[in-house]
Amino acid sequence: MDVLFNLTLNGLATGMLIFLLAAGLTLIFGLMHVLNFAHGGMFAWGAYTGVWVYAQTGSFTIGVICAVIVGVILGGLMERWIIRPVYGNTMQQILITVGVMLVLSEMLKVVWGPNQLSSHPPELLAGSWQVGGFIIIKYRLLVILVGLLVLIGVQLLLTRTKLGLIVRAGVSDPEMVQALGIDIRRVFMIVFMLGAALAALGGALLGPYSGVIHADMGMEFAILAFIVVVIGGMGSIPGSALAAVIVGLAGAFMNYYVPDLSLAVNLLLMLLVLIFRPQGLFGAKGVQQ
Amino acid sequence: MIRKLTAPPIWYGIIAAILLILPLVNDSRSTLILMTQIFIFAVFAMSYDLLLGYTGIISFGHAMFFGLGAYTVGIWMNRQDESLFSLLMAILVTVILCALLGYVLGVVTLRLKSHFYAMLTLAVAGLFQVGAEKWRSLTMGNDGFTFSIPEWLMDRQLFYYIAFFFMVGGFLLLRRFTLSPLGRILQAIRENEQRAESLGYRVLHYKVISNIVAGIVAGLAGLMYGLALRFVNTGVFGVDITLDGLLMTIIGGVGTLVGSIIGAALIQIAHDWLTDLAQVHWLFERWIILFGIIYILAVRFFPQGIVGSIQRLADRWKERKM
Repeated sequence: MDVLFNLTLNGLATGMLIFLLAAGLTLIFGLMHVLNFAHGGMFAWGAYTGVWVYAQTGSFTIGVICAVIVGVILGGLMERWIIRPVYGNTMQQILITVGVMLVLSEMLKVVWGPNQLSSHPPELLAGSWQVGGFIIIKYRLLVILVGLLVLIGVQLLLTRTKLGLIVRAGVSDPEMVQALGIDIRRVFMIVFMLGAALAALGGALLGPYSGVIHADMGMEFAILAFIVVVIGGMGSIPGSALAAVIVGLAGAFMNYYVPDLSLAVNLLLMLLVLIFRPQGLFGAKGVQQ
Repeated sequence: MIRKLTAPPIWYGIIAAILLILPLVNDSRSTLILMTQIFIFAVFAMSYDLLLGYTGIISFGHAMFFGLGAYTVGIWMNRQDESLFSLLMAILVTVILCALLGYVLGVVTLRLKSHFYAMLTLAVAGLFQVGAEKWRSLTMGNDGFTFSIPEWLMDRQLFYYIAFFFMVGGFLLLRRFTLSPLGRILQAIRENEQRAESLGYRVLHYKVISNIVAGIVAGLAGLMYGLALRFVNTGVFGVDITLDGLLMTIIGGVGTLVGSIIGAALIQIAHDWLTDLAQVHWLFERWIILFGIIYILAVRFFPQGIVGSIQRLADRWKERKM
């Protein structure tokens, strides 16, 4: 029972981290039809910035804030100088974002050296609570909480604000939105920056969670986020959240019981979804030609 | 775009002659190894070009064929004796395995839109790498293993010539393939998929064929890579291998085949030089950044790469003369 509970908590926390990455990815794709292969790079930059600032200032909060700021800046620069010029050309988009991913993860090694950095949770969140025989690691709870807050926040933003209305309209028909006199490009930029900021936030939270961070982990998490986005359906935030929890839980349980198959299970899940329900669990947009 | 059927053969002849004489003039070990690597990666990059430049498919998992070839020869030579016969058998097995993989993967995934295909191949290649890591009884896990090859193949000079003819053969075969009616259909798919479909071509069918051919060629390149190192580890399935192929093809010039060779030479030589320079300044160890930036600029401003841009300049110059 204890093991089951721990694995569930662990899976939920990992799922929430993946959700932070996938939320931006799915929104950007839903709105702009751009699959950002450099999204994992934002995640890794967020992680390094968070860990480094935390180590320098001693404040975890400042670290997270700086990571988010770096994410917003990177996202803005990338949208303006990389994505916008090749907008509408799928092949160029895919190729160029992969190039950015390569440069971003190599730049990490230039700035912080090729070795991995280590980190630990701040004192307030270190350790665990004991509730009726169950051990709850505080930091994991924080990660789950932040993930839920982001889910609610993004959902409210999409359903209750004018910007959200425009974004939702843009997902279903960007030309029409533009014809109504709304500058969809500015909306693209805002969504892109928001997505990058969420990815960086996820990275910053990962640092103390996993203890060590390295430059290549951007790609590893990006693959998981791709899987989540496909399972949940492109452009759907609730779908991504559900899929992220599934992938996180599957990862945690498989890692404990059959560690050799943990990545394989998620990939199989994605393959099944792609073959039998290509629009994903929640998505409206098909992926088949 | 009409490409001339006969590229200036005089240049090809001169370069081939220089490459044939090179090992007789300079037989230092490092030069021979570098050149052999260039030849092998040129073939890998050309197979990538067949997908990217001729069919318009973006795969981020091309390394799985490369790795499959390298592991097949390694495991086969370890389990069987190190004779010429078992080497030939290993080649045959590589071809069969890569063709099967290319077929299955193509049928299952090539009907997806390009984003999803790119993503899926990235994930499947990751699966191969994890598989090679975990199936320890067969692959020795992360550390990899060394294996022995026929005695006569260990001669670096001879292997240089084998790799050279491997590249020339690969180039001529792929060139023949892309100029064939089948290759023309592939280019039609690249230019306008809907149009090709409405002309009555079963697009998926041709894409799968392209995937199989590219897979077999990449597998053979991996096999040569394994033979050159006499060692194989999980790195052969790595994303870096695919990215190398991608950089070489884009920087050299997509859809030209020759571009892949030039790109392979540039990147391998730069890798060699800049890694040496790392002793001078550590920044040179991160040489891939330079190529990453060149690559981004190439995708953005010179989508035809070096060869394509030169060709365009030459065409323009010729037009002006007329």
